[in-house]
Amino acid sequence: MGKPADLVQGTLDFLILKALALEPRHGWAIAKRIQQMSGEVLQVPQGSLYPALYRLERQGWVTTTVGEADNGRTVKFYALTRAGRSHLKRELATWDRLSSAIDLVIRTTP
Amino acid sequence: MTPTRWWSMLRARLGAVTRRRRDAAQLAADLEFHLDSYADELIRAGVSPGEAKRRARAAFGSRTSVMESQRDLARVPIVESIGRDLRHAARSLRRSPGVAATAVLTLALCLGATLAVFAIVDAVLVRPLPFPDPDRLVTMFNTYPRAGVARDESSITNYYERRGRIAAFSHLSIYREWPATTGDPSSTDREPVMQISPDFFATLGVTLAAGRPFVDQETLPGADRVVILSDRAWRDRFDADPHILGRTIRIDRVPRTVVGVLAPAFRFLSSEAQLYVPLASDLSRRVPAERHSGSAATMIARLAPGVSLDDAQSQVAARNAAVELVAPYGQARQMNDAGFRTIVRPLRADHVSSVRPVLLLLQTGAGLLLIIGVVNLTNLLLVRSSGRVKEFATRRALGASGRQLVGHVVAEMLLLSICGGAVGTAFGMAGVRLLTHTGADRLPLGASLSFGGRTAALGFAAALAIGAAMAATVATFLVRGRPGRGLHDASRGHTSGQEAQRLRQVFVVLQVALSFVLLVAASLLGASLNRALAVAPGFRVDHVLTGRVSLAGTTNARAAGTLAFIDRLTGSLSNRPGVDAVGVTTKLPLTGDIKSAVTVKGYVPPAGESVRGTYTYGIGGDYFKAMQIDVREGRALTAEDSRDRLRVCVVDEDFAERYWPGERAIDHTLFIGSRAQADDQAFRVVGVVAPVRQRSITADERQGAVYFPFPYGGDNTFFVVARTTVAPESFVTTFRHAVRAIDPEVPMTDIETMDARVADDLFLRRSPALLAIAFSGVALLLTAVGTYGVVSAAVARQRREVGIRMALGAAPAQIRHQFLWFGLRLVAIGTLVGGAEAQLSGVALRNLLFGVTPFDPDAVAAAAVLMALVTTTACAVPAVSAARIPPTQVLAEE
Repeated sequence: MGKPADLVQGTLDFLILKALALEPRHGWAIAKRIQQMSGEVLQVPQGSLYPALYRLERQGWVTTTVGEADNGRTVKFYALTRAGRSHLKRELATWDRLSSAIDLVIRTTP
Repeated sequence: MTPTRWWSMLRARLGAVTRRRRDAAQLAADLEFHLDSYADELIRAGVSPGEAKRRARAAFGSRTSVMESQRDLARVPIVESIGRDLRHAARSLRRSPGVAATAVLTLALCLGATLAVFAIVDAVLVRPLPFPDPDRLVTMFNTYPRAGVARDESSITNYYERRGRIAAFSHLSIYREWPATTGDPSSTDREPVMQISPDFFATLGVTLAAGRPFVDQETLPGADRVVILSDRAWRDRFDADPHILGRTIRIDRVPRTVVGVLAPAFRFLSSEAQLYVPLASDLSRRVPAERHSGSAATMIARLAPGVSLDDAQSQVAARNAAVELVAPYGQARQMNDAGFRTIVRPLRADHVSSVRPVLLLLQTGAGLLLIIGVVNLTNLLLVRSSGRVKEFATRRALGASGRQLVGHVVAEMLLLSICGGAVGTAFGMAGVRLLTHTGADRLPLGASLSFGGRTAALGFAAALAIGAAMAATVATFLVRGRPGRGLHDASRGHTSGQEAQRLRQVFVVLQVALSFVLLVAASLLGASLNRALAVAPGFRVDHVLTGRVSLAGTTNARAAGTLAFIDRLTGSLSNRPGVDAVGVTTKLPLTGDIKSAVTVKGYVPPAGESVRGTYTYGIGGDYFKAMQIDVREGRALTAEDSRDRLRVCVVDEDFAERYWPGERAIDHTLFIGSRAQADDQAFRVVGVVAPVRQRSITADERQGAVYFPFPYGGDNTFFVVARTTVAPESFVTTFRHAVRAIDPEVPMTDIETMDARVADDLFLRRSPALLAIAFSGVALLLTAVGTYGVVSAAVARQRREVGIRMALGAAPAQIRHQFLWFGLRLVAIGTLVGGAEAQLSGVALRNLLFGVTPFDPDAVAAAAVLMALVTTTACAVPAVSAARIPPTQVLAEE
């Protein structure tokens, strides 16, 4: 496994929300999901994941419940709130605009 | 931000606070799980277990730092910072314990006074009566203003003529209280028993806890041997017997069957009665001729739905006019001459009308005191905080935000006001207890006086409001200044901004003005009390013991027996050493104001003039000597007049002057009742005595009085009066024994010295005057402190300037005068403003004053002189110290 790329600054929250779009997950599953969605390119910095989750909870975008992981251990599951879902939608739109703009800039031949 | 997001944010944050500990444990478990999962993955990829664990941990970074970063996130900033601010405030106040203690005490004292008075106001004026729809309850009474009878309750006839005949009332009933012997017939204790008409409880809207109310048949004498118990009587005397109905209790030796028990909370106004019996009356008492036979009972009624008080009033007037048409012997004209009317009043307002103005006055006074206290406190805190301008400026320069600084100030003020509020609540409770001991529980509805939840809640709210007001003022002046200027000012020794200084001067003016209002009010009330105490009541107050004897319901009830009883009693008492004279009277000054009609032979009233209510007394023994009522003409009545049943009488000077102006009253004759009768029924005037104050020491009625020998004016209830040469209190047991020696069944109640009766009569003047004096004393002290504070702050601020001027040769006297005038100018303005306000409050006080006008120059001058003395002293102290500032030292400081 080659060294994965660092995350673009400030996109972790966005990726977490995206990772939760399908179903509630626990922390480890979120990290794995991001890794998997990015085709193993993006590696979540383990130390920032939980603070980011807490930040999102505090902002009201995710809620937590305690549930059982596959191996039977009790862990926290994170789920998108309605506000979180609409926030994600807005973020996606912004990201689309931004990334196509950046794309445009860097592909324009001088 | 959408509301849903707000909601989930709020829930997350609040939840985080309460769940913090549980969360930390869960987080640790989550991290553990995460690490294990990562390690497992590495192991599956072929890494050795030990190495996998190490790598996983390394990838994660420091676990503690993760935990900590989350703890920070879990905090709710507002709550956290309030906590911090409060801790900071507590520390900062602990550094200046003097200021903190002064502030808390000032606030506690003023708030305590306000709360204690409010507790009374709440019990007496605010709390609704404990009946359904209490506002629909009214009372009504007859008045004959032109006969000098302002209030004569209602007759039995009134009741039977009105009951069910006035559409404005859904229920109408009467009641009266009388003292009776209950239980064991040999007991000489009396207790109030309430006689009521059958619809009494229905009028009040209450239902009995058990049994039934009275029925109409039970209002006939003989058929009335039933009783309804209060809950307390049921518990105390019958051990809460569940089969109480049908048991009997003796009242005035007559056994009565229990037919009902009242609910535990039932209490009728201020009545202490525990037993309710039917108000039975002979059919002969219900006829039109008895319609105006005096206050037999008190009438209450419940307004029918939708009926206003005015409607009720006019319907009662219409009913009166209708029944007066069938009145006997042209009574209608006579009543018209007397100005007869029936007045309908709200029950509660009527019950508390005598104390309402006094209570409102006291509440206003306490409120003013509270304002003065708060102003003083704000002033003090402004001084204190201006000493910290530099500290604040420094902190701002170092990056503290305005919000943080305001937070500190707010926290300090809140802490002070909450402490003050707590101590003040304790003071208020103590105050209520003190007021109860000084007789506040004797006020109408005063028995329900307690320091309840409402009062405590008010105290808490007031403390918070005061804290907020002080914080707003102080914070404005602390934070508004630019940081640079604060540092600059402070370094130059200016400890207070110009604006703050000006505000504090305004505060002093306000304080002086308000305390001057209080002082004037206290001065006026004090002068009134003095005038009241100086009134010559027509008898000598000291060294007189009095007590009520009731022969009703005893074997002595027959008239001959009564006379013999009085002879033996006065004889045995007057033989005791230390007793000067003994007499009996049916009516004692200050124990009632019932008047009756007397007709003077040969007097032809001018057309339209009313018959006149006259105080009539039945006198036995040596009454005039015992009371030391001055005999102005002729002779006094003696024991022989009673024994020989002479048809003689003694009148007072008011009576003599009214009917025989410029003539000798002696040998004129008069009749009892409102009509002239046969000559052999006439009474010959044998003496004229000084008028006495019957209703109240302060009521100068000049209504006229006639004293008859006991057989003619007598009753089976009377007062014994003894003049003693030693302390009258020492004869209380002698009194009881003397009565018991004649008849062990006869009770003697209401034993009091005349001094005590006068004190009781003046209770509503004395207590408010004393409280007002106490309030204004505290207000004056606070004002002195406030004035002192402002002048000494001015001295401190100009210390350098004074030093330079003195170095240049200014005389100390000049400096002294400068600061003295600075302070006195503020006081003068305040006094002028206060004087103008006092004019207004004087008008409001008018009804409470006696013998002084609201603008009594002496009282106002006394207040002004006191104010001047105290504030001049307060200004002089810092002014003198200013003149002692050593110039060399000040210049060296620079």
